[in-house]
Amino acid sequence: MRALDKFWLAVLILLPVLALLVLPPFGQRMVILVGVYALMGVGYQLVFGQLGALNLAQGALFGVGAYTVALTAPTLGLLSLPVAILAAALPAAIVAGPILRLQSHYFALATLALASLIHLAAVHVESITGGANGLAGFTALLPRGPILLVIVWICLILTIVVQARLFAGPMGERARLLRQAPLVAATLGIDGGRWRLVAFVIGSALAGLAGGLSAAVSGVVSPEITGFPIMVLCLTSVVLGGARHPMGAVLGAAIAVCLPELLRDLQSAWLLAYAAATLLVVLWAPEGLATLIDRWRGVRPVPPVSPVVPAHLEAVDGPQRLTLDGVAKHFGGVAALQGVSFTLERGEVVGLIGANGSGKTTLLNVIGGLECADGGTIMLDERRINHLAPHAIARVGVGRSFQSLALTGDTRTADIAHAIETGASFLLLDEPAAGATDRERSDLASLIARLRAAGRGVLIIDHDIELLSRTCDRLICLDRGAVVAIGRPAEVRANPIVRASFLGVEEAAE
Amino acid sequence: MSAPVLQVGGLALAAGDIVALLGGNGAGKTGLFETILGFRASVRPVHLFGRDVTGWPVERRVLAGVGYVPEGRRVFAGLTVRENLEASSSLVPVERRRRVEEMLEMFPMLGERPDARAWLLSGGQQQMLALARALMNRPRLLLLDEPTLGLAPLVVNDLLSRLGPMAAEGMAILVGEQRAGLVLRVAQRGLVLSRGRIVRSGTASDLAADPTLADLMAGA
Amino acid sequence: MAYALVALGFVLALNAAGAVNFAHGDLVVLGGAAAVVIGLWTGLPGPLLLPFVALALGIAGIVAARVAILPLVARPPEATFVATIALAAMIEQGLTVTMDAAPRTAPPLLGTGAVEIAGITLGRQPIAIVVVGATLVVAMWFLLERTQVGRRMRAVSADRHMARAVGIPVARYVVLSLALAGALAGIAGFLLGHQFLVAPTQGAGHMLKAYIAVAIGGWGSVPGALLGALGIGLFETFVSAAVGDAWASAALYLAVLAVLVLRPQGLFGEPVGRRA
Repeated sequence: MRALDKFWLAVLILLPVLALLVLPPFGQRMVILVGVYALMGVGYQLVFGQLGALNLAQGALFGVGAYTVALTAPTLGLLSLPVAILAAALPAAIVAGPILRLQSHYFALATLALASLIHLAAVHVESITGGANGLAGFTALLPRGPILLVIVWICLILTIVVQARLFAGPMGERARLLRQAPLVAATLGIDGGRWRLVAFVIGSALAGLAGGLSAAVSGVVSPEITGFPIMVLCLTSVVLGGARHPMGAVLGAAIAVCLPELLRDLQSAWLLAYAAATLLVVLWAPEGLATLIDRWRGVRPVPPVSPVVPAHLEAVDGPQRLTLDGVAKHFGGVAALQGVSFTLERGEVVGLIGANGSGKTTLLNVIGGLECADGGTIMLDERRINHLAPHAIARVGVGRSFQSLALTGDTRTADIAHAIETGASFLLLDEPAAGATDRERSDLASLIARLRAAGRGVLIIDHDIELLSRTCDRLICLDRGAVVAIGRPAEVRANPIVRASFLGVEEAAE
Repeated sequence: MSAPVLQVGGLALAAGDIVALLGGNGAGKTGLFETILGFRASVRPVHLFGRDVTGWPVERRVLAGVGYVPEGRRVFAGLTVRENLEASSSLVPVERRRRVEEMLEMFPMLGERPDARAWLLSGGQQQMLALARALMNRPRLLLLDEPTLGLAPLVVNDLLSRLGPMAAEGMAILVGEQRAGLVLRVAQRGLVLSRGRIVRSGTASDLAADPTLADLMAGA
Repeated sequence: MAYALVALGFVLALNAAGAVNFAHGDLVVLGGAAAVVIGLWTGLPGPLLLPFVALALGIAGIVAARVAILPLVARPPEATFVATIALAAMIEQGLTVTMDAAPRTAPPLLGTGAVEIAGITLGRQPIAIVVVGATLVVAMWFLLERTQVGRRMRAVSADRHMARAVGIPVARYVVLSLALAGALAGIAGFLLGHQFLVAPTQGAGHMLKAYIAVAIGGWGSVPGALLGALGIGLFETFVSAAVGDAWASAALYLAVLAVLVLRPQGLFGEPVGRRA
């Protein structure tokens, strides 16, 4: 997400001010509604836009906020709004733990089931919700008109400014990693589960606040407010406006509120037009209208900031030795790793070689916690790290780069730079030189030398045996999951078993 | 002389050729196969059977006479052996069934259990199925990507020994391999690919005798 | 049994597109509406109406594939989610505008009233639903398991990339799958439309039940989806008889949450594994 520039900030502040000064009450009411829907949308951007999780409960939680205000406003007045926030955030927090682990389509279904439960309750628990008739006559203690407009827009502007500021920096980068490459995020120590939990609860809290404010605007609450159409409206407006643009939710909400007025003759056909517009945006402008407007204004989307390796590498505190003892891993009946034992000291560079399928990447995955070892132990000094989650392993000092990343805008070394940035004592590099030019290879070699000098331990996989011979203190050769040679580069390269496993001549001799 | 079966960049195959494409991980073997098949857009023109097929979609190139055995076999897991073969055939029903029987006869490993679901097969059986599947439409060009990976020596020998007779009948065969020693026994020519470029080419016997081959393939 | 048809169409579309088709429930409603409208225009009796409804919705399925699914195959599944949600909203609103929200009844398939068989009295429409449903399920099984078209459809859902590499025109098979899914949805809408009236807002409910059936039965598994749908039907019938409709639905949603939390791979596992 980009930062909010002056143009959009001006729009955001001028809109409510002008509304207060020039618009008749009816127009002001529309501006309030824009603010309310935008607030729900901003909360939705957190979960759907930043983390890419298709949450289908946002509309129902909006309804929960509305009902809460309808029930508590007669006694609490404005204080019913914080209660609405809690009322929406609480069920989200309760179900979040188990359902956030689910994959995309199951997560969507789980939130849909939650939303359906809320809707059922609104219709059928008549003693509280008033059933199909809903609730009315609760606004006596609530502000209305211009004051309500000011409250809504202050909430909205604050939320947008805070969110835009947060996600314009390193947090936005981390969110992008979580969305596009969750495994990489984990190996950089980002706890995806925690992020999703926080985003889901905050997003739901905003839905509750928006719902509560909507009750204050309309003065009546009925079960429709928990229904699926509200959810569809929220989703489509965020997509239409731009799921990751700070102004996306506002723009989408503005269109959603104004379109029915513009198409008044067509009555409910406006929703048809709205859905059609959303479909067109999904097909041809997936970044949304706000981004499209930025492009017309000549503002280019900022390429994501790729971290660069700092010129001077600081020495880091942390564990001294990574020890593998008898590590084994099976996939089905196939032994991917068997009895792998070695140690890696700080300030040492070890190269891992072997033919395709010999288990090199699996070994890195097992050390980094992406796969669980079936046998043996992996120790960091005296601490066993076998059964830690990947992000926890990253936090105790093991960083990781990947073979081929589909991240946009990243330079070759960005991935390594990310890993260095975490201050890891040990770095696992998976084919950093694959597809690199000669120039990039020599840069890589000097980077590895600097890492050694800064006291980091490096385990590196590559097929460029010259590069490894120049940079590594030792080489380990894997064949069918087992260590067949370990020692100084020249020794390992001269080893007949190593040559055979690279060339496949062992079968040729049979 | 007739047009080459395949021509892309510096690589040309005529009918009856078996060419080994050598190189380690990341050397660009799979990328080259995907360019030939049309999965990835290419700036280099691709000629198949004497025609420029650069803008053609994958299906059209395949039906023009290309068989593909991908790395990792990728058989259709939920389908049986027979169904895998039938689904891969674009022939009319009578011919299709006859061709399936031919394949089951040609690969006894498959003929033993034609109604087994593909995901229950062993690695060797899956590799044979992937090969049989590629042969269903009687291709004139066969592409094999790392066909020996993870196979027992006996199965490797069985697989490689089939290539010679097929080439003798006029098929052109391109085999991507990192285990050079194996494939150079059956190929006539070989190319070493490194970082997407051909860095060495020669007859199979020259390459097999070349002491620098190991270093070349390791990307040095 | 009608749920089974809805779920069957849903899983066909899911396998072909590799992503959830949120408009599927609205195709069911559209089927009911088509039955009402074509029935009024032509005055055809139920059995003759059936092929017309199936044809109309088959075409609707093709449109859905061309508009919201094929252009997005290279994008993450969420893009298809959103596109089909938008399509669903378009269908729902389109129906609301054209048929004024008042619910209508689709014509019966075999006339109304009841017949007595071996001393048991049964409604004609429920019998028709069971007969048509069972026939279509068997026909679909035959198509998928015993014909070249079905084999190729299964190959496409198993590995889209490899399917192209053996010469299968994948895009054509995706469109075909969506057309079949649409036809099944249309017939289901027709059958349900006599029992429960046709209202534009029912789409989300149908979709949710199909979604649940597929999630419970194992993602992408055709027999699993059928079992899931039958399970939901039985569950609703018995639980709602005991405690009323609302509680039955609530119990169903709670059960779904419980299943998702306890067995994320579905009750019957995920036979093929790894799905988008």
